[in-house]
Amino acid sequence: MTMLNPDFAEELKQFSEDSALACFNCGTCAAICPLIDSHFPRSMIRYVQIGAKERILEAATELWKCLHCGLCTQTCPREANPGEIILGLKRLVLDHWRKS
Amino acid sequence: MTQAKEKEKQHATKVGVYICHCGGNISDHVDVEAVRRRLEKVPGVAVARTNMFMCSDPGQELIAEDLKNGVVDRVVVASCAPSLHETTFRNAIRRAGANPYIYEHANIREQVSWVHHGAAATEKAATLVEAAAAKAGLLRPLTPIRVTAARHATVIGGGVAGLSAARDLADRGIPVTLVEKSPCLGGQLARLDRIAPTGERAPELVRALADAVLNHPHITVFTDAQVIATDGYIGNFKLTVRQEVASEAFTGTEACYIPFSGMRPAGPSPSEPREFNLETGAIVVATGFRSYEPRQGEYGFGDFASVITLPTLIRKMAEQDTEGSFLEIDGRRIRSVAMIHCVGSRQIPGIHPEDASGRLNEYCSRTCCTATLNAACRIRETHPGTRVYELYRDIRTYGRGQEELYEQAARDGVVFLRFEPDQAPEVVRADPTDGYPLKIRVTDTLTFSENLEVPADLVVLSTGMEPNDVSDLVEMMKLPVGVDRFLLEVHPKLRPVEMPVGGIFVAGTCQAPFDVGETCNAAGAAAVKAASLLAEGHVELDPFVAEVDAERCKGSGACVEACLNPGALALVEMQIGGQTVRRAQVTPALCLGCGACVAVCPENAIDVCGMTLSQYEAMVDAIVADQVAADALR
Ligand SMILES: Cc1cc2nc3c(=O)[nH]c(=O)nc-3n(C[C@H](O)[C@H](O)[C@H](O)COP(=O)(O)OP(=O)(O)OC[C@H]3O[C@@H](n4cnc5c(N)ncnc54)[C@H](O)[C@@H]3O)c2cc1C
Ligand code: SF4
Ligand code: SF4
Ligand code: SF4
Repeated sequence: MTMLNPDFAEELKQFSEDSALACFNCGTCAAICPLIDSHFPRSMIRYVQIGAKERILEAATELWKCLHCGLCTQTCPREANPGEIILGLKRLVLDHWRKS
Repeated sequence: MTQAKEKEKQHATKVGVYICHCGGNISDHVDVEAVRRRLEKVPGVAVARTNMFMCSDPGQELIAEDLKNGVVDRVVVASCAPSLHETTFRNAIRRAGANPYIYEHANIREQVSWVHHGAAATEKAATLVEAAAAKAGLLRPLTPIRVTAARHATVIGGGVAGLSAARDLADRGIPVTLVEKSPCLGGQLARLDRIAPTGERAPELVRALADAVLNHPHITVFTDAQVIATDGYIGNFKLTVRQEVASEAFTGTEACYIPFSGMRPAGPSPSEPREFNLETGAIVVATGFRSYEPRQGEYGFGDFASVITLPTLIRKMAEQDTEGSFLEIDGRRIRSVAMIHCVGSRQIPGIHPEDASGRLNEYCSRTCCTATLNAACRIRETHPGTRVYELYRDIRTYGRGQEELYEQAARDGVVFLRFEPDQAPEVVRADPTDGYPLKIRVTDTLTFSENLEVPADLVVLSTGMEPNDVSDLVEMMKLPVGVDRFLLEVHPKLRPVEMPVGGIFVAGTCQAPFDVGETCNAAGAAAVKAASLLAEGHVELDPFVAEVDAERCKGSGACVEACLNPGALALVEMQIGGQTVRRAQVTPALCLGCGACVAVCPENAIDVCGMTLSQYEAMVDAIVADQVAADALR
């Protein structure tokens, strides 16, 4: 069970673009992304939406597979800017590692 | 005309047969040319022609030319279902100066080419057209029945549908009586605040509409009133209206708007219940809907005081219209509100329990998605500290300006979760450590079907629509009801505001879930239909009604007993050959043309015009003759 954490969005603001809630989970980004993991990068966007910080940290290494090709951001119909959020999450994770 | 005379005339007629390709819809499966050749040889058929599209202008022109040139005097078109184009061809005949009832239709698309293929299709098509030609040979010109129509309309229900239908009718100069059951006008719209997608204030809309109605010289309004009896027929309905004593006496000399009730017309309200009669030409039924009432325990409803319905939320928000970081409901600060969609709508057999009378609401209520998003946006914009979660099955923001509201909600920070119908969210008491009174457990398909928990101070159930119980009106006026219990129009596309009983129309959410715009569309359509019906002072009805052959009738009265519509048939005294006898007599305006009487008459003395027994015998003969010929070849 994961309890939704509405305060995570606030925490993330210092690291990342605050556009995750614009995402309506269509999956276009996951389809266009050259990486093969089925839900990436939507998986990360979704965890941001519900504030599942633990989930993001658990799967942190995934973030470094991102090529920053920008295809997801280009194709996102809601302009949720998934590519930027992935970059922002890397900053969050680095900050977390530094502190721990 | 007696049947003997009809028989005589048979060979005097010149039947024209017109066979349609329907672009290929028919001719891909039916050898249209072969059918034409066969029909050409049928006795009584003067010409048989084909066309790519009989319903096109050139197609209709073929018929008109033949009629004008005297080549034909009876017409058969073999094409699609008569519900589509029978009227088209009757009108073409009328325009050519002939009587439109010399027409017979053969359906060789739905009944042939769409369901049969190859030689069998051609064979069946030819047989159906031969039968139609045989019947056409016996058709005679008929005159539509003309009945005078009272220039007055009655609207039942004073919600936005009833109000706008009444206003539209009265604006055309037609006197209107509006009968509303409750003490106020405005219906459910009066129970809303800012409405989607425009953000207009519902009280202002209701007020404007109700003012226009109450101040209209052609409209009489009765509140606390109901129609308790109906009689008569199109153009000549007789209604009995009963007005109760208002539960709260109202003495105001001016109409006043009561928030969340509606517009109360000027008093004084009557001190005694009263009943009165109305003669009216047309009726618009606009009895609206009620909100679904959740079952005890459904998503915690009734178990937890902080589980409320969407209409309740809308009212509480309007009544405590305070600014501030957090929404406050009943004096409680709401940090987190969870809204659950599709409560009491889109129920699925086997998943959702039936109500006490064994029913399920399988339909989508259509307005709740948008109304929920509208409320969510409003909360986020006026109380940015309050978090909003929406748990949905599907988001159905189908209309103009509604998808924008969905996008707006996302931009306002509303978090969406999606559940499968068989994995409904569960509203439970939260653990003391959770910091919230309630939480919702949900298997969220957007999060890869992980189990999530949503913390909540308030849970809002997006309850759907159910039609108001109008079983008394349904019974009295013989209105058809769909499996969803909403009133059922004659045809959902082609005749969307008409009831099968002539002169009765339907408007608004008593027919289906509609938003306010759609409700007004329907009301406008119903008003126009009613107004055009009443404009002439009389109405013309199809002449397909029973007709008695007084020479044959022996007055047994079997037909009167069999008749389904009281008043359509009666035994009356008349003079025949110097003697007073009792014979059956038809009241054409009341006759349904069902033929129940024809079946029981021992004397063959009663027939339905345009569908006489001898015409059917001729059809059967034609079909059997085909069979005999085929057997002979074998
Ligand atoms: C929670 C909620 C939110 C909504 N939000 C929106 C929105 O934001 N935007 C939007 O466009 N639409 C919205 N709607 C839909 C809107 O409320 C309806 O489209 C509209 O009110 C329908 O009007 P109506 O006249 O058909 O029915 P009603 O408003 O139900 O009116 C029917 C009237 O008939 C009367 N009546 C019933 N039976 C009888 C009888 N036997 N004899 C005499 N009178 C009778 C009733 O008392 C009532 O006054 C919402 C609906 C709900 C439930
Ligand atoms: S930017 Fe990263 S997440 Fe986006 S498509 Fe490219 S590789 Fe995939
Ligand atoms: S493409 Fe955009 S809207 Fe669609 S899932 Fe990815 S981030 Fe969300
Ligand atoms: S409009 Fe939305 S909430 Fe209402 S029944 Fe349809 S899908 Fe469910």
